[in-house]
Amino acid sequence: MTEETKEFKSGRDALMNILEDVENARDRAEEEKNKTLAIITNFTDGLLFFDKEHFLVLFNPQAERFFNVVHKDVVGLSISALSEVSSLQSLIKILGPDYIKNISRKELTLKENLVLEVSTVSIIREKEEIGALVILHDITREKRIEKMKTEFVTIAAHQLRTPLSAIKWTLKMFLAGDLGKIGKEQEEFLRKTYQSNERMISLVNDLLNVTRIEEGRYVYKPTLVNFEDLVSSVIEFFKEKTKRKKLKIRFKKPKEKIPKIKIDAEKMQIAIQNLFDNAISYTPPGGEIIASLSHNKKEVKFSIKDNGIGISENQKKRIFNKFFRAPDAVKTRTEGSGLGLFIVKNIIEAHKGKVWFESEKDKGSEFSFSLPMRGLPLK
Amino acid sequence: MKKILIIEDEEILLDLLQNKLIQEGYEILVARDGEEGLQMMREAKPDLILLDIIMPKLDGFEVMEEMNKDKKLKSIPLIVISNSGQPVEIDRAEKLGAKDWLIKTEFDPQEVIDKTIKQIGK
Repeated sequence: MTEETKEFKSGRDALMNILEDVENARDRAEEEKNKTLAIITNFTDGLLFFDKEHFLVLFNPQAERFFNVVHKDVVGLSISALSEVSSLQSLIKILGPDYIKNISRKELTLKENLVLEVSTVSIIREKEEIGALVILHDITREKRIEKMKTEFVTIAAHQLRTPLSAIKWTLKMFLAGDLGKIGKEQEEFLRKTYQSNERMISLVNDLLNVTRIEEGRYVYKPTLVNFEDLVSSVIEFFKEKTKRKKLKIRFKKPKEKIPKIKIDAEKMQIAIQNLFDNAISYTPPGGEIIASLSHNKKEVKFSIKDNGIGISENQKKRIFNKFFRAPDAVKTRTEGSGLGLFIVKNIIEAHKGKVWFESEKDKGSEFSFSLPMRGLPLK
Repeated sequence: MKKILIIEDEEILLDLLQNKLIQEGYEILVARDGEEGLQMMREAKPDLILLDIIMPKLDGFEVMEEMNKDKKLKSIPLIVISNSGQPVEIDRAEKLGAKDWLIKTEFDPQEVIDKTIKQIGK
């Protein structure tokens, strides 16, 4: 064999080796790709991937099932072209119209028995955005359970109201002497029973209010209301209770008269009552509660300050949560649903207002809210 | 003596209302469902109707719808006894012609008397 032939042979061997390595690498890459594809294909969430020019490049089988569309018919289309595809219109309305918006857990009801939660994630490789992934999570079951829970509470609460009303009416008529004369001791017992029953009624009302808030049925009926009168009426409502507990209530009225504002008087009264009820319940006898009302051109502000038990630092975050009761509050007073402040927050926010508080453990709390002077739009 | 028809299926509430209103000197007629209520108002021509909403056979809203079809019945003042006190429920009752309402869990015997007097006097 000549030198040349030898060189040629070893060169060829080296080349073959390189080719083999390339092939292996390609196989490995292919396998990785297949794996990724298998994951995407079998993923239980619907997945859509848009490239950075907002063209759809991936539409997985689960998404096909959700929208009843075959990927071949939609892959390659731009987001604006997709809005022409009738079954995808509702989704594109959330995502588009021209580029993929940043969305987190937005609900999309496709059919009565199909509710999706839509989220988008920008996909970034080496600091460069290469596109956006749309994730469609099926929450139909969760929604159904949530609805059942709400319906259960509504039915339970409604069924409770009738017997509670019957008890209330009977006791009230006994106390009014309509059902014959009663002795002092009997009257005292009946009065206490009446109060317990009232607590039960207010709990049932709270539960119903919460389910209405959650169902979006908490109807707001705005009328023109004198806010100062509203606060005064709540103070009057609690007069007995504060007197019994030897609490001082002061009402710092605004210097200038507040013009009437358009609010739902009944709901606002519930909100203010809840705040007063908390201040009274969590302030020891002999304490002081100061309510103040002020306004400027833009908003009216209400505050209620007490020198009660206050709120621990680590409880502050959860104070407006549904059913949350701070451990110190439970120790002070066992009854309470943990719904009051949740309802307050919802009422104030439905009026486009803000609610906040400052509090120090063992020193007291101050809860405040502000409402825009323009009030709610009249329906 | 002025006649009041109470249409209410809850026995105890019916008893209490009846008791209170008789004490005040009214004549009371009772019906325990919507159908019976309609029949009685046609026969007895009461001066005032107290009407529950959630009832067997015909509910309170259906009773009011029926009343609206009949000129004579339409003219009888009516107070609704609402279970929920929900604004939607009260709004609907007002639209159907209810003059006033009582909310079961907020009710006070005196309130019934006040509202009755307001509609038809003593």
